[in-house]
Amino acid sequence: MANNYSAEYEKTSDALPGQSLDWLKVIRADAFKCFSDKGFPSLREEEWRYTNVAAIEKKLFTPQFNVEVNEIDKELLQNYQLDGVFTIVLVNGRVSLEHSNLEGLSDNISVLSMVDALDQKPELVEKYLAQAVNDKEHSFVAFNTAWFSDGLFIHVQANQVIEKPIQLLHIVTQADLLATTRSIVVVDEMAEASIIETYVGVENVYLTAAVTEVFVGKNAVLTLYKMQSEGDKAYHFGGIYVKQDKESRFTHHNFSFGGLLARNDIHTDLNVASECDLNGLFLGVKRQHIDNHTRINHAQPHAMSRELYKGVLNQRARGVFQGRVIVAEDAQQTNSEMNNRNLLLSNDAEVDTKPQLEIYADDVKCAHGVTVGQLDEKSVFYLQSRCLDEKTARNILTFAFANEMVDKIKVESLHEKLLLQLLQRFPQEGVEKSWL
Amino acid sequence: MLSIENLHASVGDTSILKGVNLQINPGEVHAIMGPNGAGKSTLSHVLSGKPGYIVTEGKVIYKGQNLLEMEPELRARAGVFLAFQYPVEIPGVSNIYLLKAALNAIRKHNGLEEVDAMDFLTLVKDKIKLLQMDEKFLYRAVNEGFSGGEKKRNEILQAAILEPALCMLDETDSGLDIDALKIVADGVNSLRSEDRSFLMITHYQRLLDYIKPDFVHVLAHGKIVKSGGAELALELEAKGYQWVEGQAA
Amino acid sequence: MSSSAEEIEQLISQEYKQGFVTELEVDTFPPGLDEDVIAKLSKIKNEPDFMLEYRLKAFRHWQTMKSPDWAQLNIEPIDYQSISYYSAPKRKEDGPQSLDEVDPELLDTYKKLGIPLDEQERLAGVAVDAVFDSVSVATTFKGKLKDAGVIFCPISEALQEHPELVKQYLGSVVPEADNFFAALNAAVFTDGSFVYIPKGVRCPMELSTYFRINAANTGQFERTLIIADEGSHVSYLEGCTAPMRDENQLHAAVVELIVLDNAEIKYSTVQNWYPGDENGVGGIYNFVTKRAECRGSNSKVSWTQVETGSAITWKYPSCVLLGDDSVGEFYSVALTNNYQQADTGTKMIHIGKNTSSTIISKGISAGKAQNTYRGLVKVGKRAENARNYTQCDSLLVGDKCGAHTFPYVEVKQPSAQIEHEATTSKISEDQLFFCQQRGLSAEDAVSMIVNGFCKEVFKELPMEFAVEAQALLGISLEGSVG
Repeated sequence: MANNYSAEYEKTSDALPGQSLDWLKVIRADAFKCFSDKGFPSLREEEWRYTNVAAIEKKLFTPQFNVEVNEIDKELLQNYQLDGVFTIVLVNGRVSLEHSNLEGLSDNISVLSMVDALDQKPELVEKYLAQAVNDKEHSFVAFNTAWFSDGLFIHVQANQVIEKPIQLLHIVTQADLLATTRSIVVVDEMAEASIIETYVGVENVYLTAAVTEVFVGKNAVLTLYKMQSEGDKAYHFGGIYVKQDKESRFTHHNFSFGGLLARNDIHTDLNVASECDLNGLFLGVKRQHIDNHTRINHAQPHAMSRELYKGVLNQRARGVFQGRVIVAEDAQQTNSEMNNRNLLLSNDAEVDTKPQLEIYADDVKCAHGVTVGQLDEKSVFYLQSRCLDEKTARNILTFAFANEMVDKIKVESLHEKLLLQLLQRFPQEGVEKSWL
Repeated sequence: MLSIENLHASVGDTSILKGVNLQINPGEVHAIMGPNGAGKSTLSHVLSGKPGYIVTEGKVIYKGQNLLEMEPELRARAGVFLAFQYPVEIPGVSNIYLLKAALNAIRKHNGLEEVDAMDFLTLVKDKIKLLQMDEKFLYRAVNEGFSGGEKKRNEILQAAILEPALCMLDETDSGLDIDALKIVADGVNSLRSEDRSFLMITHYQRLLDYIKPDFVHVLAHGKIVKSGGAELALELEAKGYQWVEGQAA
Repeated sequence: MSSSAEEIEQLISQEYKQGFVTELEVDTFPPGLDEDVIAKLSKIKNEPDFMLEYRLKAFRHWQTMKSPDWAQLNIEPIDYQSISYYSAPKRKEDGPQSLDEVDPELLDTYKKLGIPLDEQERLAGVAVDAVFDSVSVATTFKGKLKDAGVIFCPISEALQEHPELVKQYLGSVVPEADNFFAALNAAVFTDGSFVYIPKGVRCPMELSTYFRINAANTGQFERTLIIADEGSHVSYLEGCTAPMRDENQLHAAVVELIVLDNAEIKYSTVQNWYPGDENGVGGIYNFVTKRAECRGSNSKVSWTQVETGSAITWKYPSCVLLGDDSVGEFYSVALTNNYQQADTGTKMIHIGKNTSSTIISKGISAGKAQNTYRGLVKVGKRAENARNYTQCDSLLVGDKCGAHTFPYVEVKQPSAQIEHEATTSKISEDQLFFCQQRGLSAEDAVSMIVNGFCKEVFKELPMEFAVEAQALLGISLEGSVG
């Protein structure tokens, strides 16, 4: 089943970073066994019932190690490097310091490539690696654990507040490449940080399989942004697995624009009185397939979660949302709200959505809602009564529907970039570029 | 300017307007009063072209055109403005964007160039002072999270910028405290001119203390049952609607 | 747990009142299932040949299938060879021709259950088919219905009297290979009700079937088939009870509804199979496939269910909305207590244009019970202007139970408007205190809260069933029925 990948792994695994570390060797070997036993996910699995990955199985994507990359498409870099942030560029799954810019970053915040972290602070990596996610979670996680080539290890010490966001810019420059990065973000007690993950690449077929593990300490605050603008033919798997300590706050903004097939997994484990906000916007055009899975695990009492995912599907695109909120037996006084709103713009578009509540505690307030459908007719009339013709009114409302998610972004350069992406993907008559 | 003749309208199977006649000339301020359920708001909805209403009889001529045949946006571009009783919240669309888009639609309709960005900003800032609103409102989503009073002021701000010929105010005074009411009324009064008419729909006489009407009409059971000058409003306040409803029966 | 939470639980729990056993002489097959058993069954029923073929085909398919494991249920493996597939009260050669010939012991049983089969005693306006273990023992008001052209009889009788109708429709909505339990049912079903409402007829009375499991170690496999021809209308009710036994018993039914142009079927269930004791011992496994096909334009199906019994409920009454402008509705109250488990909901499959569906589901979970709503709303490519509104609410009583919501929404048509809302809440001590502080007793307060919670569903039930549902939930329904 995953045979051609097995052969490739045999060939390349010696070149993986940290192979001199016995503990890591074991972890990688176990992960690979897990992957080769199970193979790629099938439609029969509940978590994959709407997403077919057979095309990836048929192809062979290969990783690239120890090859210096000097040539990066300048345009890609310029287009996606944000202003007013610290930037680390990862090229084809490897950190490239020459393109990065960490000038002015405080010494109390360590930002290392995973390769360097395994070399310099292996005990710290050992403490966190594979702690927020298990390889059994799904095959792509096992795949990533077995095969990650690099990534970031970011550690924000207690009480530190990073003044500017850190952008992790993932760029793929070659066809048929396998880019597997594993990153770890640790935000200690009372610290505050924000991190922007950006995924871009060439207009060829390639595979990104990225996993980020996040640990938010007591009363710490982390905001994580993800802008996925992979090339039109790319496959993208991005998993974010979060462990939240007491009274911590985690916010995720997930913008899924690119790729032929994109799958996002966002899981968070909430501790006592912690909070999480999961926001998402997925835009599908042409034959794109975008699948979003979220899991919020209320394991402890007094926590709060809010979730809003919006999808706009045009042409032959298909969108999937599967959200799961689990409230454990002891998680009394849980407050949870999950919403998924979708617009279908064409006869060939499709959306499949499944918001689930699993509740084992009684003193809870949980709600979820889903809508699939058309624009609010009252709003259409209101705009008509303000002189706009019906078509323009609908275009504006469609744009506004998506823009509501972009509007939540307070990092100015990112906000601007997102808006641009939105306009590029939904060129709507009557919606001016100078959207205010 | 506006001539309504024998207007009948219904929603589904329920007939609401049962023969309304009304003539509004340029510069006049008309107030329509009446008990709840008399059809006051329906009248403004029908005139502005809100979907869901069926005109079963009668006609409405606005500036020589058959108003009822026009799309809602064409009515608006031709100068018919409705300040909504319940202004709609539109998340994601900023106030200033809406204002600009609307103003440009009118200008295009009238064969004019789109408004210059700087001129527009000057205009908006000028008008917003009139309504004593914070500039921040311009950049917030249309009516989202606004208080009742803020929404109503926002409606008048739109009128001030779009400069309609016929301005309909649907229960603009409801939900306003006295201070907010004065601000809204000042805004409306500043818009009064020789060639602009007003149709104010209100349940209470209070608004008319601040915006003095030329004519007052009482709408009951789908018909105008009594018309008079400003003094009619006071009489109504004193005697109650039963007084005119009795006359309608 | 605090005292008032306990109090709430007590108020929800009540003794199972239908748990007695009727002592009768019976014909029972020895346990076990193979093709011979099926042949014997078909022979006893004197079925036409096509039925035996149908049954064997289903059985052969069933042997290749696995019991479904996707539900949020914990099911002990079932030994299908230890179940007896036929049990019936001994009777004369031809079966009872009139009520006078029915064993008085049986009449007594139904009387005790509050279902008098005597037409004089019976509330006028409701015809009853009484199914006892594997057979129908009596059907009331046959004559009156016949005058209206309505066929209402045991399905075994329909196979004798109207084989062409049965052949035409049986298995046309739920094919014999549809799912594990439906296949088993197709192979071994013994009786059930058959209803045919001719064109343009509004059925003059409510039809109802009362299912009773009595014998030990048997399964009940009933089959119901209702056809509403063009422009007809029928309201059908079913009720179910069983004795208290320590062994789990299997009930695997299939219900098929066919609705043609402008016709309407209203199908109501009050399910009160024995739920097992407070330690989770015994009780009925209720694995039921119910499906309606709105074949005609402007046809309508309404499922209403009050599910309070059974150790395990696995049941998804569904609507396939084929005809343009057809309407599907699902109203459900599912109460689980002690160790009961329920995984129930519906499927609304929109295929025709302008189809609309409504789902209102209320789950109440108490004790150590697990209560799951599972629903699918599917809008096909051609289902222009499809509409669905779903509301599913859960009420938790006590901190050891669970309430789960698994809605699936699949849409391929841009003009569709789908809205789903779900909430989960508890009867809080604050609410109770507030009510008590306003002078209500704790009982009245709980009753008021649960009543309010279920109101939207109860109002869909025919009056008499609403009363039964009220009794089952042990609450006052004042003001909520009508």
